[in-house]
Amino acid sequence: MATPGGPRPGNIPPIYTPNSLANKMQELQINQPNLPQSNNPTVGASRPPITTPFGQQPPTFAGTRPGPPLPSAFMRGPVLPSPSGPPSTLSRNVASDRPIAPPPGSQPSPRFTSRPLPPGSLPSSMGGATLSLASGSSPQLGPGPHQQLFASSPLMSGPAAPPPLSTSGPLSNGLPRITPAQLQDGPRFPPVMGSTPRPPPIAAPQPARMLSSGSSSQHPLLRPNFGGPSASASLATAQPGPPSASPQNMTPSPAPSPFSAPIQSVPPSSGSPYGMQTCMSQQQQVAPPPPFPGLQPPRMYGMPPPLPNQSMAPTSPALGHTGAVVTAQSMVDLNHIPRPIPSSIVILHMTRQGNQANPPPPATSDYIVKDTGNCSPRFMRCTINQIPCTVDLLSTSAMQLALLVQPLALPHPSEEPIQVVDFGESGPVRCSRCKGYINPFMKFIDQGRRFICNLCGFTDETPHDYHCNLGPDGRRRDADERAELCRGTVEFVASKEYMVRDPMPAVYFFLIDVSMNAIQTGATAAACSAINQVIADLPDGPRTAVGIATFDSNIHFYNLKRALQQPLMLIVPDIQDVYTPLESDVIVQLSECHQHVEILLESIPTMFQNNRIADSAFGAAIKAAFLAMKSTGGKLLVFQSVLPSIGTGSLSAREADGWRNISAGEKEANKLLQPADKTLKTMAVEFAEYQICVDLFITTQTYVDIASISVIPITTGGQVYYYYPFTALSDPAKLYNDLRWNVTRPQGFEAVMRVRCSQGIQVQDYSGNFCKRIPTDVDLPAIDCDKTIMVTLKHDDKLQDGSECAFQCALLYTNVYGQRRIRVSTLSLPCTTLLSNLFRFADLDTQFACILKQVTSEVPSTPLPQVTEKPKNLCINILHSYRKFCASASASGQLILPEALKLLPLYTLGLLKSCGLQANGRIDDRSFWINYVSHLSTHSAIPLVYPRMIAIHNLDEKEMDDSLIPETVPLSSEHITDEGIYLLENGEDCLIYVGNSVNPDILRKLLGISSVEEISRQFVLQQYDNPLSKKLNNIVNEMRRQRSSYLRLKLCRKGDPSGTTFFSYMVEDKTPGGLSYVEFLIHIHQHIQRKMP
Amino acid sequence: MAAPELVQTDPEGIEGIRMTWNNWPRTKVEASKCVIPIAASIQPIRPHVDLHVLPYIPLRCKSCSSVLNPFCRVDFTALLWICPFCFQRNHFPQHYNSISQTNLPAELYPNFSSIEYAIPNYPQNPQNYNSVPVVPPTPIYLFVIDTCVIEEELDFAKSALKRAIGMLPDNAMVGFISYGTQVQLHELGFLEMSKVYVFRGSKELSKDQVLEQLGLSSTGGRRAGTGVQKPGGQLSPTAGSVNTGINRFLLPASECEYTLNSLLDELGTDQWPVAPGNRALRCTGVALSVAAGLLGASTVGTGARIIALVGGPCTEGPGAIGSKDLSDPVRSHKDLDKDAAPFFKKSVHFYEELGKQLVSQGHVLDVFASALDQVGIAEMKVAIERTGGLVVLAESFGHSVFKDSFKHIFEDGEQSLGLSFNGTLEINCSKEIKIQGILGPCTSLEKKGPAVANTAIGQGNTTAWKMCGLDRNTCLTVFFDVSSSEKSDPSGTNPQLYIQFLTSYQSSDGQTRLRVTTVTRRWVDSAVGTEDLVQGFDQEAAAVVMARLVSYKMEMEEAFDATRWLDRNLIRLCSKFGDYRKDDPTSFTLNPSFSLFPQFMFNLRRSQFVQVFNNSPDETAYFRILLNREIISNATVMIQPSLISYSFNSLPAPALLDVSSIAADRILLLDSYFSVVIFHGMTIAQWRNMGYQNQPEHQAFAHLLQAPHDDAQLIVRDRFPVPRLVVCDQHGSQARFLLAKLNPSATYSNVHEMAAGSDVIFTDDVSLQVFIDHLQRLAVQAS
Repeated sequence: MATPGGPRPGNIPPIYTPNSLANKMQELQINQPNLPQSNNPTVGASRPPITTPFGQQPPTFAGTRPGPPLPSAFMRGPVLPSPSGPPSTLSRNVASDRPIAPPPGSQPSPRFTSRPLPPGSLPSSMGGATLSLASGSSPQLGPGPHQQLFASSPLMSGPAAPPPLSTSGPLSNGLPRITPAQLQDGPRFPPVMGSTPRPPPIAAPQPARMLSSGSSSQHPLLRPNFGGPSASASLATAQPGPPSASPQNMTPSPAPSPFSAPIQSVPPSSGSPYGMQTCMSQQQQVAPPPPFPGLQPPRMYGMPPPLPNQSMAPTSPALGHTGAVVTAQSMVDLNHIPRPIPSSIVILHMTRQGNQANPPPPATSDYIVKDTGNCSPRFMRCTINQIPCTVDLLSTSAMQLALLVQPLALPHPSEEPIQVVDFGESGPVRCSRCKGYINPFMKFIDQGRRFICNLCGFTDETPHDYHCNLGPDGRRRDADERAELCRGTVEFVASKEYMVRDPMPAVYFFLIDVSMNAIQTGATAAACSAINQVIADLPDGPRTAVGIATFDSNIHFYNLKRALQQPLMLIVPDIQDVYTPLESDVIVQLSECHQHVEILLESIPTMFQNNRIADSAFGAAIKAAFLAMKSTGGKLLVFQSVLPSIGTGSLSAREADGWRNISAGEKEANKLLQPADKTLKTMAVEFAEYQICVDLFITTQTYVDIASISVIPITTGGQVYYYYPFTALSDPAKLYNDLRWNVTRPQGFEAVMRVRCSQGIQVQDYSGNFCKRIPTDVDLPAIDCDKTIMVTLKHDDKLQDGSECAFQCALLYTNVYGQRRIRVSTLSLPCTTLLSNLFRFADLDTQFACILKQVTSEVPSTPLPQVTEKPKNLCINILHSYRKFCASASASGQLILPEALKLLPLYTLGLLKSCGLQANGRIDDRSFWINYVSHLSTHSAIPLVYPRMIAIHNLDEKEMDDSLIPETVPLSSEHITDEGIYLLENGEDCLIYVGNSVNPDILRKLLGISSVEEISRQFVLQQYDNPLSKKLNNIVNEMRRQRSSYLRLKLCRKGDPSGTTFFSYMVEDKTPGGLSYVEFLIHIHQHIQRKMP
Repeated sequence: MAAPELVQTDPEGIEGIRMTWNNWPRTKVEASKCVIPIAASIQPIRPHVDLHVLPYIPLRCKSCSSVLNPFCRVDFTALLWICPFCFQRNHFPQHYNSISQTNLPAELYPNFSSIEYAIPNYPQNPQNYNSVPVVPPTPIYLFVIDTCVIEEELDFAKSALKRAIGMLPDNAMVGFISYGTQVQLHELGFLEMSKVYVFRGSKELSKDQVLEQLGLSSTGGRRAGTGVQKPGGQLSPTAGSVNTGINRFLLPASECEYTLNSLLDELGTDQWPVAPGNRALRCTGVALSVAAGLLGASTVGTGARIIALVGGPCTEGPGAIGSKDLSDPVRSHKDLDKDAAPFFKKSVHFYEELGKQLVSQGHVLDVFASALDQVGIAEMKVAIERTGGLVVLAESFGHSVFKDSFKHIFEDGEQSLGLSFNGTLEINCSKEIKIQGILGPCTSLEKKGPAVANTAIGQGNTTAWKMCGLDRNTCLTVFFDVSSSEKSDPSGTNPQLYIQFLTSYQSSDGQTRLRVTTVTRRWVDSAVGTEDLVQGFDQEAAAVVMARLVSYKMEMEEAFDATRWLDRNLIRLCSKFGDYRKDDPTSFTLNPSFSLFPQFMFNLRRSQFVQVFNNSPDETAYFRILLNREIISNATVMIQPSLISYSFNSLPAPALLDVSSIAADRILLLDSYFSVVIFHGMTIAQWRNMGYQNQPEHQAFAHLLQAPHDDAQLIVRDRFPVPRLVVCDQHGSQARFLLAKLNPSATYSNVHEMAAGSDVIFTDDVSLQVFIDHLQRLAVQAS
């Protein structure tokens, strides 16, 4: 809070401003005129911030802090403040407000008033709650002393905090609503005791209620955390589980009861975050049961510590009966098997409360993070939110320990921007032994003269000019003013020693295929037009440079810097041994060549109109572009349409041979998923060395051997976009949007990343799209907000029970404005010796994402049957471990699922049925899928294997609450009727399935066609003048926004290949090669039983 | 035949041939005793007023394929002719039926020893040539311009190019390449945008690679269909349409003039950075290979010239002549002597290969170099000379030596060089004669035959030579040997020897011509007496042949001592042909046929051809190329400049090439071929500076001043390359251009002996007088 003002010089632009992002996100939907409007409502409802961010930007950039931005900030404020403010009233207001803009003036005041209150209350609650949870056995005692210790500090800091807050308000304007929250948080930590009483009533109660009511009433449980309790309840009824479980889990069982008591008194802490949610997202639910804090607190906490259930909790009822699995089937209530339940509720997540790490909300949910010491889960999340003290414990659980790191993840628009800290010449303070960066968990001792590194345990001298006395609580007195001492994520301004050269300019080189195929399919025209539109969105300023080249069997560069009218085409004909045709002027500052670029892009399609060259010298072309970019580095965006057939790195159409081999039953069928040779890999490593990132846009109608060419983006930190089969009618829009997002999303260049861990744990390996030259570091020619890197961990020692284990991810990079930065995210998690804790704190999304990535990475190198065994066995082993050690008391005939992992079987099933693991899939489709997974973020992993499906034929029937997107439909053909139209999306593709007996009127209104027969392969979603169509468009746009992806729309109908495609996504169905969901559960159960003694 | 010296006004005559000996010794031994080799300087397509062009195909001897000529014996009744070379009897064909003593075809006229046949373009179908208008293949001009030069130079070069393009015939095909660190081949046929193929300068490219990369490869499946890239695009109206692919790069001048001009307007200097202390990276070698490769795709038999404008040394890729580091000077003669020029041999080898390729394609390499430093003519010489290319060495593209020379190439009419293509020279000769080889702009075709001598000089081992490029002044030196085996024929059945030169070529207007020149000379039995030999001696031709031979030997033979070799030969010659009493130098006299020869040798010894150390290897190469390709009279001037004196008292008159010719009140005009110097005596200079020439009363002085300028212009106008015109005053710095050429009869050592007003030369060189004295002494004692 206070810190921001100090360290952050006015002129340092924010790392990136949420607003701008939001902008871009909105712009994602180009084609729809009304989008903006539609967005606003949504935005208002689910995430007010989107608009606010805009307000924020100006200040940060321009340096004009309070003036202009404020109003806007306030505007949003109203919505935002509500969370912090009185729950009931505010929440209601908000709800009603959405459509109508709330009166700005009135809101601010409440905020301010409320601020003081929350701080006190929150902390206390937090402290109590978390502590109790964490320590488990000694719930209340623990907190006591601590709190006292802190108590003094809070007072001290308490007063101090508010003022900064107010100032920061304007500064950080972006987060108006957050600010209140932040304010509270700030104090919270220290002032635990402070104003315990008040808060509880305010915030806490609601959330609890919300959750409980919401979850219980709505659906079982997507969220382990939130839903957990409720779900467990529902499930529990079916099963005896809970009670029996409790005994086993030492900690948990006792926990609930004790907690309840304390909770009642101290609910607020946890409540507050939830409160936010309720306010923001859905008031209706909130509204009804405001009052009783006491009752629900457990759930609120539920997230982290919650409820008794967690331990034994989520027994999926799947198999009610004992041994007789098979017979049991009939008994299975299909509606009660665990299924994901997306919630549109926005959760407010504080990363730490009461000096305890707060387990993050599910990655797939909508949440706003308040960084209170640990980094946001967007940046880094761990598969288990408590770290097993020993490797034995971990292996008993059968789970794996890994981090998913997404260092530049896109924040929620209403989150506080990451603070930039400038240490000047000397650079950030670091541990002299392990080189860990200063973070909130470094412990200062000896009057602040020295500090103990939380990573390696070494004691360092505090640099002289960084010295500060300690307060009575043992923290540095300036801890709250310094972002690096109170925030889990900060950005340091890199000093000279972090640069081997001046930060590189933002260079964008576009390489376009103009071979006959590309021209004739319209791919070239689409690429040119997309680039032409995107040029304006490239970062401004003198440091942005662009270059353009085209290629067929030659490579054509263009000199864009010419006094005279025409650009000059420079052809490099030697495609065995390429070179760059000009030293300069192939890449030119954007400001100098704007016109030329436009003219050129317009003329390329016509210029090559009659091109009869079918060959493509892809490898040579990228090599040549590389040579042109070598001196600076930058992004190379390649638009490729056919198989590289000539020149360096040319490939053969080995797919055909491959099929023959497969049909001949050859064992090495997976060879086709491996790169054909090493040429491209070698090239890619060289690219990476010179900081060149390659993104591939594959607009093709044929086999292009993605397995081989994707090596280049994978190694250079880029990605593959795949448009197959490319159609000039429907794909250009997606191409444009993908390209636009590619260049406008938050990103950095010439990056190096390293993850450090506390003693006892070490990094085993990194995986993702990058180049690794030394084992400890990851080289990223470019990194953007969508790229995730999996970091697997291993024990090299025992950890101390009760201590914390920290992970620190440091990313040194150059932003698009040419500033060198170090983004440091630190996550400190408690260590545990209890197996039950591991299950309770397991993070399903992260675990599954890790499994997904690991399994996927093996596909090219391992025969498919072996690959598919792995996730199945993992799932069985985990559940078995749980069954054996944490729920042994339950009847052997029951399949007992830990609440946190209850969806694991479903996702595993989805994974087994996914495209990449289908032996008969198109090789390129599978390769693309494999490549897509390699950099996939945690929150996109689930939709990929278990897509979201909604019914859209009945849009007008349903009174949609504030959430735009209707209730999801389980991925089972039982839920699909011939009268229905369904929309299914997985973050990349979006299929609209039209039943055969659909009401023609609806069909016409939605899709503009009168009968199913008119469905064509090419489809463009249009908005017609009727409410149905509007709703559909709004839905699609909202989905696009959520996924940061334009989604490739396809129409499907029964009895058609497209229908087959659609049904292949029906994960829960029985398929020729796969089990249905119920069968799979039974299958797993059998295995577990077999393992049980 | 009449001895040439009798016809001083036109020593070459219609034949265009001058021989060192016009009467030949009959045996090999005798020939070797003559000291000066038997050689003929021929000017294959020399224009002559009396030259007849016959519009039909010549008759050839069926055994030796020599052409019917005035020396054939003709039996009019039997309609037979007997070949003078092989004595084969040949029947006249039908259409010669009307032949008779009084009705001779032109080729049998004795005064038409040279005659030209215009060969129809479809010789295989002779009936056709009148009815079907055949489009002759149009010549190709491929310009290659160096952009690694300063802006100003580039502008000069560009404007020269523009003017040249404007002067080209409309149907001439034009291509354009610019280069610096890389080579840029401009596709002129691409209208949407300026389009350039870029080749790296550091990599050697074979012709096939060039063609494949340009999509012109006939075999390469790589980009079949490239040629169709612009269907419906421009179709050249000319014959080039056989190969559509190349039409992307080569367009008729009329079609691409606008494109080229705008392209030249935009052309900037090379953009690749030059590190401080380094030379620009310049890839002349690759540029020329690309040019040659491109032309390789043109129709066989199409004449083409690569016209390269080079602005500096090649430092990159094949053909590099030096390192890019400025602190390493470009090789000097000393380096070459000491084998301390690491790039030289490799580079020469590269150009040899390039030359071979061009010759096989029948294309010409012209180099116009303009730089203060060397550009590598010494290395390129082989390619230039083998292809019969032109070369001009100037200091700047803005200098008149370049500008006017360059313009000259494209000029039409009277001044035209008559650039022709695809020449082939064949020599038939009497069987006693063997051909050793040719020095000059041509390449041996390795056509073996009985007339090939055992030892080769220059391009030997053949009786046929290729001249990819030749012009009106092109001159070759053929070295003959007398076969000793013919001694078996002592009766000397035939006192005459015959030599026939057959030159087929494609004239500048595209016509195929065959020039037939048949000469006869007399055998003499020198054992009997030297009188006949002496009478047949052509001292100018001999001096030039010796100069060419000594240059050749200097290049070919390691550690060859040229001065010594010349001296020894001169002494031998004087001993053999001089009149003297043994050991009495004062008694020594020379026949007038030899009288000038010692002075030629004196000047040759001092000339740039022998004293190479005063020049760079490039200059030497340049001088030698010209020495080898110029006619005798011009070559003589190179060896021994002419000096004309202008004064009030007399008409312009030749003056002694001696320092004593300098006088304060004289103007001297020196023509040393490469430069023309106008030298004002001190007094004249003073008057001129005072402006007397502008005063009406001193009109005579104005005329005097003007006269040498007018004469200089005459010299300059006719000559290619245009000589450097130097106007200087006595005691001025530029006066060195004159002083260097004068006989140092007055040096600082004998200055007191000289008359006032004359000048002295500060040199240790011996004067002509001293030289002659020594010569006489040695000649009389030698034998």
